Amino acid sequence: MSATKAVINGTEIKVKAGTTILEAARQAGFEVPTLCHHPELTPSGNCRMCVVEVEGSPRLVASCHTPLAQGMVIQTHSDKVLAARKAVVELLLTAHTGPCVNDSRASACELHKLAAELEVGPPRFQVQAPRFYPVENDSPYVRRDMSRCILCRRCVRACREVAKKGILSMAYRGFQSKVVFEADDPLNSEQCKDCGVCIEFCPTSALSKPVEEVA
Amino acid sequence: MVKKQKAKARDALLGMIKEQQDSQGHVSREAMEHLARSFSLPLGEVYGVATFYTFLSTKSQGRHVIRVCQSMPCHLKDSGQVVDWISQELCLEPGQTTPDGRFTLEVTNCIGACDQAPAMLIDDVVYGGLDPQKVAQILRSMD
Amino acid sequence: MPVKQLLSRNCGKIDPRNIDDFIKAKGFQSLEHARSTMSPEGVIEEVKKSGLKGRGGAGFPCGAKWELARKSKGPNKYLICNADEGEVGTFKDRYLIQNDPFSLIEGMAIAAYAIGAAKAFIYLRAEYHYLKGLLAGAITQSEQKGFLKGLDIEIREGAGAYICGEESALMNSIEGKRGEARYKPPFPPTSGLFNEPTIINNVETLANLPLILGKGAAWYQKLGTGQSKGTKLFCVSGDVARPGVYELELGSSLWELVDGQAGARDIKLVQVGGSTGRVFPADRLDTPLAYESVLGSGAVMVLDQSRDVVEFVHRTMKFLNEESCGQCAPCREGTEVMVEILGRLDAGQGVPGDLRTLEYLSQAMMLTALCGLGQAAPLPVLDTLEHFRSEYENRIGQAVFIRSLKALGA
Repeated sequence: MSATKAVINGTEIKVKAGTTILEAARQAGFEVPTLCHHPELTPSGNCRMCVVEVEGSPRLVASCHTPLAQGMVIQTHSDKVLAARKAVVELLLTAHTGPCVNDSRASACELHKLAAELEVGPPRFQVQAPRFYPVENDSPYVRRDMSRCILCRRCVRACREVAKKGILSMAYRGFQSKVVFEADDPLNSEQCKDCGVCIEFCPTSALSKPVEEVA
Repeated sequence: MVKKQKAKARDALLGMIKEQQDSQGHVSREAMEHLARSFSLPLGEVYGVATFYTFLSTKSQGRHVIRVCQSMPCHLKDSGQVVDWISQELCLEPGQTTPDGRFTLEVTNCIGACDQAPAMLIDDVVYGGLDPQKVAQILRSMD
Repeated sequence: MPVKQLLSRNCGKIDPRNIDDFIKAKGFQSLEHARSTMSPEGVIEEVKKSGLKGRGGAGFPCGAKWELARKSKGPNKYLICNADEGEVGTFKDRYLIQNDPFSLIEGMAIAAYAIGAAKAFIYLRAEYHYLKGLLAGAITQSEQKGFLKGLDIEIREGAGAYICGEESALMNSIEGKRGEARYKPPFPPTSGLFNEPTIINNVETLANLPLILGKGAAWYQKLGTGQSKGTKLFCVSGDVARPGVYELELGSSLWELVDGQAGARDIKLVQVGGSTGRVFPADRLDTPLAYESVLGSGAVMVLDQSRDVVEFVHRTMKFLNEESCGQCAPCREGTEVMVEILGRLDAGQGVPGDLRTLEYLSQAMMLTALCGLGQAAPLPVLDTLEHFRSEYENRIGQAVFIRSLKALGA
C-alpha cells in the first residue's frame, strides 16, 4: 500500500493509505476527542465531536470516518474547531436529564469528562421537553436509563459487531430517536444474556450493571 | 458473496412493510414479527424502519387517511382552517381516528401541491383549492 | 424574453399516456442519435461541454459526476432518478412527470448509456403515489417500443421522509433501511447503492438530456450565464396572483419571476430554494436566479407585507426539526433547540440573549452537521437575522416590557 503525506498541526506526517484523519492524528501524538467512535467498532460519525479543520474545506470534517488524503493540511485544535466541539457538547447536555453529578454511576461518563476538558459550563440552550424515559430494571443483566442516552449508537454496533447478537436497533426519527430492543420492549433475558458488552461500550451511565436499589 | 446476497434481499423490506400498511391500514406487531423472520432480521430492525417513515403507522388507522399539508405555502393560504373545518365535520383532532373507523386525520409536511394551496391528500388523491363547502363535500362523498 | 418553453415544450401539448404523441414530437431521437453516433465517453463529453448542473438543489456538474461513475470499477452500476421532491414549495418534478414522463425516461436511458448502467431506479416520494401508474405506463411503453434496450427501470416508492431526497438517505431507503444520511466520502459515483458506483440525478436534470443531445452542447450553453447554463423550472407559491411552474432562462431576475410572471404585490420577502433556502427582502429582488447567486431546487415562495418574519422562521424550523433523521447530534439536538428559541420568540417570550444564542448555534450546526439538512437548516435564521433583525428585536423588546410591567404588578 502506498503512503499518504499530509500536515497536521504544522507537523508533516506520512501514514498508510486509507488511514483516517483521526488515526493519523493519534499516530502523530495529537489527541482528538471522540464520543461515538470506538476503535473496535465501525465508524458511525454521528456525534461530530472529532471534527477538525481541513484547509480549503468550508465545513469541518469528522476525523473518525474521513480518510486522510494526500496533501491535506489539518488543524485539530483551532479556535473554530474548539468552539464547534464545545457547542456539540452543550447540545448533548441540554436534552439530557438527571442529576448525573450526584450519581456514582456517572463518574465514568465520557460526556462529562469532555465537558470538563472543553470547559463547558451549564449549557446556554434549552429544549421544550428534555428526553425522559423511566429507568428499566427488567433485565437481570442490564439496567437501562435511556434518559441519559446520547444516541451515539455504540451499544447498537457493539451488540452486533462484538457480541454478535444484534438485538439492539435504532427506532423512531429525529429528536425522538431511541435505541430499542424489538418493538421498544423491555429487554428480555431470553435474548439478552450476561455478556455485558453494551455496558462496556456505553460512554454514559445509560447502560449499567443492575445494582441493589438504595432506599 | 453470501453477505451481498443478504443485503439485496433486505432491499425489499420497505416495500413489504408498505404493503402491510396499505392492505391492513397499519403495520401490526404480528406483521413485523413475520417480516423479521422472513428477512432473518431482528424485530428491532423492522420496527426501526416502520417507525422512521410518516406514511407508516404501527397503530391502527382509519379506512381513509386525511393528510392536511401544513407547510409554508399551504399555511399562507390558511391550511390551519382546513384542519378546523375537518375537525368540526368529523369531530376529531389531528392524530385521531373517527370511532366508526372511517377517517384518520393527520397534518403533514409539503405534499408538492403548493400551486393548489391549501391542499390535502386523502389516501392517494390530492385535493387542492380547499374551502369549507368543498371539504364537506369531499368528506361526505367518501365511504 | 426570459420565458422559455424548452423543458416544458411538450407539457400540455402531448398526451402523457401515449408514447406515439411523444414520438411524433421528435421523442427518443436524441437517445437514438446518442446510441448510434456517439460513444458513452462522447455523451459524457457533450454533457460536460453543455455545462449542465444538477437541478435538485446541490448543483453539482452533471458530466463530471458521470465521468467518475463511468471510470469506477464494478460489474454493476446504478442510475437513480431522484423523484423525492420533498423540498417545501417545490412541485416542478411533479409537473414534468404529469405532463411529459417520456422525456424523463429518454433522459434516463441516455444517462444509463453514458455511465454504463443496466439497472435504474426511480425513487418516487410516497406523496406522489398517484403518479406511479403514469410513470409505470411510460416505462412499459418505452420498453415495448424497444427504446430501453435492456435497461431495466424500476420504480421504488418512499414512505414519507423529507430526508430521503438527500442522496445517501435515498439509497438507504432503496436498500430497505431507515432513511438516514451516510457520511461522505465515499461518494455515490464510487460507492453508492449496494456499495456499487451510482449516479443520482434529479428528474429535471435528466429531462434536460434529450435537449442537450438533440440540439448539441454548443446550442445549450448559449442559454444562461457563465456558470449557469440552460433554463430552469421555477415553482412559485405563497402570496402571488398566479402560483405555478414557470420556465425561465437561468440568470433571469427574481423580480421578473415573482412580479412579472407570478403577479406578486406588496412583497416583504421571497425565499428561494425551499425550507433551507435563502431569504431575500423586497429591495434585493434584482438578484439573478443562477448558481452564482441563488437557485436551490427552484422553489420560490413569496410573503407579502402582512406576514410575520419570526412566525415564518419558526414554522420553517419546526419542519426541519420534524424531518431531521436524528442521526447526527448537531442536527437532531440543534433543530430542537432552535425550535425552542424561535417558539419563545414567536410567542412573545424572548429574552435579550436569544439572538446571540441563535447565531452561535447556527455557526456550530453549519460547520459540523453530517449532511446538507443540518448544514443548511440555520440559513433562513441567519438570513432573516441579517435582513429583518429589527423585527426580532422588537419582539424581544415587547416581551421584556410586558414582563417588567407584570413584575411591577401593573
